[in-house]
Amino acid sequence: MKNYNKILDETPFQTAGPFLHIGCMPNKIKINNLYKNDLGEVPFKNKNEIEMITIEGSVFDGNGITLDDVMLETWQCDENSQFFEDNGFARFIPDKLTKKFKLFTVKPGQVKNLDSKNQSPHICLSISSRGLNMTLNTRIYFEGDDLINDPILSMIKNNKGNIDSLVAKKIKKNVYAFDVFLQGDKETVFFDI
Amino acid sequence: MNVKSLVKRNYKKQPEIDFPDYKSSIFRAPKNKKISIPSNNSEIFGPIFNQKIIGKLDNDLTLNSSKNKMSPIGHKIIVYGTVIDQFSNPIKGALIEIWQANAAGKYLHQDDINPAPIDPNFSGCGRSLTSSDGSYEFLTIQPGPYPYPNRGIEWRPMHIHFSIFGKSFGQRLITQMYFEGDPLINLCPMVNSIADERAKKSLVGKLDTSRSKSPNILAYKFDIVLRGVKQTYFENRHEGL
Ligand SMILES: [Fe+3]
Repeated sequence: MKNYNKILDETPFQTAGPFLHIGCMPNKIKINNLYKNDLGEVPFKNKNEIEMITIEGSVFDGNGITLDDVMLETWQCDENSQFFEDNGFARFIPDKLTKKFKLFTVKPGQVKNLDSKNQSPHICLSISSRGLNMTLNTRIYFEGDDLINDPILSMIKNNKGNIDSLVAKKIKKNVYAFDVFLQGDKETVFFDI
Repeated sequence: MNVKSLVKRNYKKQPEIDFPDYKSSIFRAPKNKKISIPSNNSEIFGPIFNQKIIGKLDNDLTLNSSKNKMSPIGHKIIVYGTVIDQFSNPIKGALIEIWQANAAGKYLHQDDINPAPIDPNFSGCGRSLTSSDGSYEFLTIQPGPYPYPNRGIEWRPMHIHFSIFGKSFGQRLITQMYFEGDPLINLCPMVNSIADERAKKSLVGKLDTSRSKSPNILAYKFDIVLRGVKQTYFENRHEGL
C-alpha cells in the first residue's frame, strides 16, 4: 500500500490572463503556423451528426456584461457512459460579436459514481480568464433528465445552492441554453472538486 | 474494489479568488463559497494527449515562429522541470502549454495595448508532453516585464503562463512561473493574492547555471506539483450483508 502520509503542496493557480489564446488556441487568433488544430476543437470524432446536441450560452460578469475573453473547457463521457482518453474534451471561447459560445457534442449518458450510484447525465465545465485567480469548476445538467435523485445535485440542494444554475434548458430539439453567471442573484454554483 | 479520489485542495495555499487589489477580479470573482463535492469518475478521468499532436519545434519558441531562421530578439533561456503529483509520483505524458510576452514585454495578441514592439520571429506559444520521469524542457526567450492597467498603471513581473493537464480533469492547473530575483514579484497583486509565503515562492523559477550546455543560455528550473490521486481498497459489500 502506498504511503499517503507525506503529501506535497499542490502548485498554486494564477490567472490565465487575457492572452491565453496564444498558448491554448493559437489558430483562433491567427497564429496559424504552429499547430495543425487547436486542442479540443471537436469533443468527439466520427459521431453521427444527427445524434449531436448543441449547448449555447454566454458568460456574464457582475455587471451583467457578456464576456468574450474567457476560455471554457468541457469534459464528459459519451452517450453510452464511456469515458475515453482521446475523446470527450472540448475547449472553446465565446464569439467576439455575438458573445455566445457553442458546444457541439453528444448528450452524455449517466455517470457511475465511485460508490456505484448513478449520476444524471452531466458535462464538467471549467472556466479560466483574466480576473479569475483560479479556474472555476461547475457542471452542466440537462432539463428533462432525472434531477431529483442525482447525488451531487442533492448535495447542492442541501447546501442551499442554486441548482437551477446547473441545468441547461431545452430550447428546441437537440439545442440547449446554458448561461454562466460569475456573480449576482443568478450566480452559478461552482465546485470545490 | 479500488476506489480513486483526489486529494482535497488546500485553499490556504491557493490564491484568494476575490482579491480587489487585482481589479479585474472585482466583477468576475464569484461571491458564494464553492460547494465541495466528492470526486467521482467525471473528475478522476481526464483527456490524455498523444505525442502525435506535438510537433518537433513545439517546445522551441526560439525557432517555432522564426522566419528564414532569424532569431527572435532577447536572451535565450531554458525553462525546465518536472511534473509530479502530491505523492511525488512523476506524471508521464502531462501536457504543458505555455504562453508569454516577447523580450519587450509585448504579446502577439490583438488585445495587448502595451505600446511595445512585436517581434516578427516570436509568437510566445509552446507546448510539450512530459517524459516518463515527468520532465519537460522549453527553449525560449526571456520575457520582458510589462505595464498593464490595474490601480493606475502597474507592472507585471517577468513571467511565463503555464497550463497543465495531468491524468485527471480534477488535476487541471493554470498558473504562471516567475523568475528568481525579479523585484517586481513582490509588488504584483496577482502574486500577492496567494497569502502563503511558501506557496508564493513555489512559483519562482530558480536560476540554474549548470543546466545549459551553451554559455549564452541561462536555465531556470520550475517544478510543478499536481493534485494526488488516492487509491483506497474497499471490500465489496453485498446488499443485505
Ligand atoms: Fe501575462
